[in-house]
Amino acid sequence: MLREILIRFRLLFTRRPSRELDEEIAFHLEQAEAAERAAGYLPEEARRRARIAFGGVERTREQSWEQRPGWWLEMVSQDVRYALRGLRRNLAFTIAVVATLALGIGATTAVFSVVDRILFRSLPYAHDDRIVSVGLVQSLEKQEFTVGGFFFDWRDHQQPFEAFASQGTMLHVCNLVENNPLQLGCINAQEGFLPLLGVSPMLGRNFLPEEDRPNGPQVALISYALWKTHYGSDRSILGRLVNLDGDQFRVVGVLPKDFELPTLQIADVITPLALDEAAQRKMSPGRPMRTFARLKPGVSIAQAKAQMEPLSNRTQQVLIPPPIRKDFHLSIRSVRDRETQDVQRMSWILLGGVLAVLLIACANVAGLMMARAASRERELAVRSALGASRARLARQTLIEALLLSLMGFGAGAVLAEGMLRMFLAMAPTGIPFLYRAQLDLRILFAMLGLSLLCGLVFGLAPALERPRAMALTARGSYEARRTLLRRILVAGQIAISLTLLSCSALLLRSFRNLEDQRLGLEPDRVLMAKIALPGFRYKTDEKKMQFYLDAEAAVRRIPGIEAVGWSDSFPPGGWQGGRRFSEFAVEGRPKPESNSGSSVVYRKVTPDYFRALNIPIVRGRNFTEEERREGEGKMILSRLMASRLFPGEDPVGQRVQLSLSGGGWSTVVGVAENAKNGGLTTQDDPEVYALIRNTAGEWNGQLIVGEEMGGGAPMMSVELNADPRIAGEWVRSQIASLDPMVVTETEPMAVRVSRMADRPRFATSLVGCFALTGLLMAAVGLYGVISFMATRRTQEIGVRMALGARRGDILRLVTGEGARLIVLGGALGVAIALGVTRLLKGMLYGVAPDDPLSLVAVVLLLAGVALAATLIPARRAMKTDPMEALRYE
Amino acid sequence: MPNSTDLRSNALRSTDLLQGTLDLLILRTVSLGSMHGWGIALRIQQVSREVLEIGQGSLYPALHRLEYKGWIASEWGESENNRRAKFYSLTRAGKKQLERELKSWERLTEAIRLVLEQA
Repeated sequence: MLREILIRFRLLFTRRPSRELDEEIAFHLEQAEAAERAAGYLPEEARRRARIAFGGVERTREQSWEQRPGWWLEMVSQDVRYALRGLRRNLAFTIAVVATLALGIGATTAVFSVVDRILFRSLPYAHDDRIVSVGLVQSLEKQEFTVGGFFFDWRDHQQPFEAFASQGTMLHVCNLVENNPLQLGCINAQEGFLPLLGVSPMLGRNFLPEEDRPNGPQVALISYALWKTHYGSDRSILGRLVNLDGDQFRVVGVLPKDFELPTLQIADVITPLALDEAAQRKMSPGRPMRTFARLKPGVSIAQAKAQMEPLSNRTQQVLIPPPIRKDFHLSIRSVRDRETQDVQRMSWILLGGVLAVLLIACANVAGLMMARAASRERELAVRSALGASRARLARQTLIEALLLSLMGFGAGAVLAEGMLRMFLAMAPTGIPFLYRAQLDLRILFAMLGLSLLCGLVFGLAPALERPRAMALTARGSYEARRTLLRRILVAGQIAISLTLLSCSALLLRSFRNLEDQRLGLEPDRVLMAKIALPGFRYKTDEKKMQFYLDAEAAVRRIPGIEAVGWSDSFPPGGWQGGRRFSEFAVEGRPKPESNSGSSVVYRKVTPDYFRALNIPIVRGRNFTEEERREGEGKMILSRLMASRLFPGEDPVGQRVQLSLSGGGWSTVVGVAENAKNGGLTTQDDPEVYALIRNTAGEWNGQLIVGEEMGGGAPMMSVELNADPRIAGEWVRSQIASLDPMVVTETEPMAVRVSRMADRPRFATSLVGCFALTGLLMAAVGLYGVISFMATRRTQEIGVRMALGARRGDILRLVTGEGARLIVLGGALGVAIALGVTRLLKGMLYGVAPDDPLSLVAVVLLLAGVALAATLIPARRAMKTDPMEALRYE
Repeated sequence: MPNSTDLRSNALRSTDLLQGTLDLLILRTVSLGSMHGWGIALRIQQVSREVLEIGQGSLYPALHRLEYKGWIASEWGESENNRRAKFYSLTRAGKKQLERELKSWERLTEAIRLVLEQA
């Protein structure tokens, strides 16, 4: 046994010259011949008989060789070496195939890694497919919410859910007060909330029911990140008392590492919601909440919605006043949709784009492989005639194809990593999960499988074709069939790349429209500052107001500051206060009845707001600093609002009241030019500016951390004659000198505005990049097919020229071939593009999906590039020397 | 008239032999002393009185297989007519294998005999 192993081992490494076997066989034949001669045959006949008796020499040789242990390993390595030699000889071909594959694989892997989490990957909850967000929506709040009264009524009477619980709406700033103070994001949740998600703390326990009651024990769950960074992963944190905003909370648990709130807010601390159930039931509206539920198995979202509708209607009858009731609707969405709905379309578009590139790449590789198979047909036929077995030939072709796909895969993996980093660098903020995207091994392996499959199909197809004797002499119908397939592939490539190009052209035009639009304000030289006051130190509204006024005075002292304004929100988008048009009652007119109608932006500002943002007052005047200290309400309307509320009248001097909130009357002092306030892509709303007066109640909002929202807290806008990037530091230090515990975030307004265009910019540049790649590959494919056919027809061209065809005729002959493909592919592409671009509708701004200008431009671009790709081989064919061409072969 | 032609028609081709029998024949033949491929083929033919004719197509693969298994060893030497030839001889492992194969062959033929006589 050992001996056998040793022999095998030795044989693996020593190459026995096949000469020995040849010599052995030769000896055998000689002896046999001698024996036949001795039997009385003539030498010629003796040799013939000996050979017949022996049988196939080549077969014997191969069979003997195959007795060797590990012979197949040797054979494969031989085939690999042979294939590598062949690939090196055709370097251009190899590079073209590997680069095409790498581009296709790299781009697909990178994009898939990004969108996978958004579209497909499961969320970190048990039964994530059954967890839904439940609540009401209305025109000012598109994310489901519930309020105290609703929640308890629904919880008691609902049918379709097996679990039903809420978290708080706002992530608020809270302060960890200890030797090492820290500003944290805190949120509340009910005791049933984690069990609903199927999440249990990695350390400790969830809240107990008695802790989720008013005046219950004060407990807290902390995030894994806080536990790790602030408490050094200390297990004795359980049971410890921590001081949050001045109150003692006992830490009862640490959340798992991958925990995330279904609202995607990033909370460091969760404390019980502790609602007073009896009081909440009576209240209207009661405490706002985000409610989630787990569907019973087998219940669909549509069924759940149908079951909840009567309940919802009944509660609305009781709790929502009739005038505004019809604006509220029940909504139930899967948690995935709640998290990613607004980026899902973009994700599908990117995925579609990259799959189109992959398709073009595959067609390209198929075309290249077919061209190679065609040019090797004769070689294979010769080798087959010399006795190589079909299996051997197929194996070699296959090994070559597999080698190519492996190389393509390797290069693609590197490219994918690079592209993913690039995506992350240029990606907009606010796309959920993106910051966590990494090269996914599953996807990479799927791509490896795909590229191997690619290699198998394209390698095996020609290998399985029986090398025909015909191949030795001429080219026949078989080749015609293959070039037909190649032509179809090229036409398909042209069609797909035309589709990609038109999508990208539309996105580009839409993006240009976004960038060029008039904002109605000047973001340059403006700095925004958000000031987070620690609530436990500024408990009363007076204290808050005093701090804000001190901060304003401090910032005004900075040299170079031209205006310091306050507002509770900023244009051109993001969170801003909203009212309905019908809420505005004008003095001397009957009160409006219904309370629906279009929404109006309601922004609370100080006089310098208009100066800082450079929003001109077109009629009347601005607020004055003195009016801040006076008692009476003042208002400025946007031009749009003025024309709606006072058509044909002078709004200045009119008195307006917000009928629902029942506040006092405000006098309109002026009309401001319209400023963009509906985000970059949507229509502007009419806008009302209310003066923030120096009464404590107007400064009480709480800042919401980590979000675009202001939550009603005053935010500062500063106009300066210095670079806002540098000035941020001055503003922050001025405010910190008043109270070091106060955290100030500053951002140049221009950065914020440009960030709002990040998402369209991202989609546009990626799709554009794909489109150009696709175009390039399609051009290469077209070039390949035309030059291949031109070369094959060299002789024919020679004959034609010898018979009197002029160069122009030859040029027409060859380009005509390409032109047919371009027209065919182009027509197909236009048809597809018209269908596909319709899907872009929601993403386009100021350009229609069937925009003729974009389509024409794209068709011209494609036709130009494609014609150039055919002209190169055509010109070469045109310069053919007929004498040489006739001798060609 | 050479008789090898006539015999060929009723000779058993090696493919007709039972699987493994060829190995046994080779091992048995080589056990008499080292021999080259041609000699082995000739010997089997002669000893079996021309009934068994080894198709050379399978002789050499079999020889190589046995060699790789370590049952026979080969060395280059001079043939009877002073030509370089490869001689095969039985190794010690081959001797044991021969005994094993002989035994199982005997068992097999005995079994077949029993079946034929009793059936």
